Amino acid sequence: MENIGHAGREIVERIMPKDVAIKRVAELRAAKAKEYDVRLQIATEIIDIAYGFFTPLEGFMTKADVTAVCDNITLADGKTVWSIPIVFDISEEELKSTGIQKDDTVILTYTGNPLAIFDVTDVFTLDKKDVAMKVYATTEEKHPGVKRTYNYKDKFLGGKITLLNPPKINPPYTEFWLTPLMMRERFKEKGWVRIVNHQTRNVPHTGHEWLCKGAWLQTYGELSIEKPIVGVLVNAIIGEKRVGDYIDEAIILTHDKLRTAGYFGEHNHMTSCTLWDMRYAGPREAVFHACLRTNLGLTHHMYGRDHAGVGSYYGPYDAHHMLAKVRDGLNITPTYSMNWLYCPHCGEITSEGLCDHKKEWQKFSGTVVRSIIIDGVKPPRLIYRPEVFDVIMETAEKYGFGSAFVTEDYLKRRTPVFTIEPLK
Amino acid sequence: MAETYPINIWINEERFAKLQKAGLEGLTVEMLAGLKVLRVPTNEAQRDEVLKVFPTAKYDSATTKSIELLPKDVKDKIFDLIVERKKIDIMEEFLKRVK
Repeated sequence: MENIGHAGREIVERIMPKDVAIKRVAELRAAKAKEYDVRLQIATEIIDIAYGFFTPLEGFMTKADVTAVCDNITLADGKTVWSIPIVFDISEEELKSTGIQKDDTVILTYTGNPLAIFDVTDVFTLDKKDVAMKVYATTEEKHPGVKRTYNYKDKFLGGKITLLNPPKINPPYTEFWLTPLMMRERFKEKGWVRIVNHQTRNVPHTGHEWLCKGAWLQTYGELSIEKPIVGVLVNAIIGEKRVGDYIDEAIILTHDKLRTAGYFGEHNHMTSCTLWDMRYAGPREAVFHACLRTNLGLTHHMYGRDHAGVGSYYGPYDAHHMLAKVRDGLNITPTYSMNWLYCPHCGEITSEGLCDHKKEWQKFSGTVVRSIIIDGVKPPRLIYRPEVFDVIMETAEKYGFGSAFVTEDYLKRRTPVFTIEPLK
Repeated sequence: MAETYPINIWINEERFAKLQKAGLEGLTVEMLAGLKVLRVPTNEAQRDEVLKVFPTAKYDSATTKSIELLPKDVKDKIFDLIVERKKIDIMEEFLKRVK
């Protein structure tokens, strides 16, 4: 079962060795191959495809795949579960100016430097409203996934991708960038036989910490406790940000602090990042996360209420229902988590499924937690670990231009997560 | 004035000392494992005015029923005015100053 990812497919990196890549680019340029400079959104997904994060995808979806994803939550083969379209959009004008057409081999560049080769096998259009309705269950533009769909250009290219030039991951993300194959090596070194994923785009208060601890206990189940063989992976989603989100640097460094400050240990906790622009597709995003984390080598995945949802578009358990629907096509075990809260009567963080002092419960409100962080007032350690709170304040100064939350200024001036350097 | 739409000002040791000096320390309440908060009252019109003048602010109608996400410097000014006036009903004056 080594290196087997989603849908029972082997994780295969689609990356050309550097000397071969340099030669190939020279050959293609000599043959006047078409070139196209991609934006960050597309560059990110090229990298994900190339390293196998999206196994079994080997490239951007063809129309047949997108249609099957929308209609059946599968790829075009009708069997492989897949819930979110992975598409390469291009405008009519760009198609004309570059001359890109079906069966072309295109050099894709990012910030002017060669990134990947794109073997185009399909050029197509999509009914964006139909895609939005099927994937997001709404056509309202205020839904961020729908907005992204409507913002796609009018034509789409499908075909395989081969990476020419691996990204340089910039600090502080460098140590957390673990590709599916690297991740599996780490798990092997640690001797973990079960690993449960914690999906996050938050800095952790103790409610999040206990979500992880509860899931770790659930995952351990019947296994021997003679030596540590179960781990929690905090896989932070690093991608497109909205004003008011936590800054990426704060998310990843605070989670890591939970381990380095001893609330977890090397024997049961790891932090990593995945490059992905959240679509907030609720149930469909939950299924996507299952596929993604299977590719990372995880065996279990925690899901709370309203997983990856936004606003009131999805019911609190819609994701659980959809996961149950496609269960046979997934190779990861969902671990469902109830909310954790502070009970003054118990004097501890507890699960709403355990404690019966309902009238005394003090729930973690995201808004209140943000309010406390904005005020810079260190909460009691039962709410925020002091080491974690210090990291929030430090990252706000060091990376967030004074704010732990994304501002317009941060969006303009932040250090990019990765850069593509000249290929030489 | 009815305390209908409070602004939560979180109280650390420094702020608590200032409240003690103004004789207002008894106005704090405890939320979240003993974290002290001063709940500054606003009426409906003042709440709407606050949300209009400070667009990052949000009225959390779902959980806390309070005005949240005001910038720190704004909260500092509200807090300083409370300490200066030695009373908590200062939002009318604060909003006049802002205007």
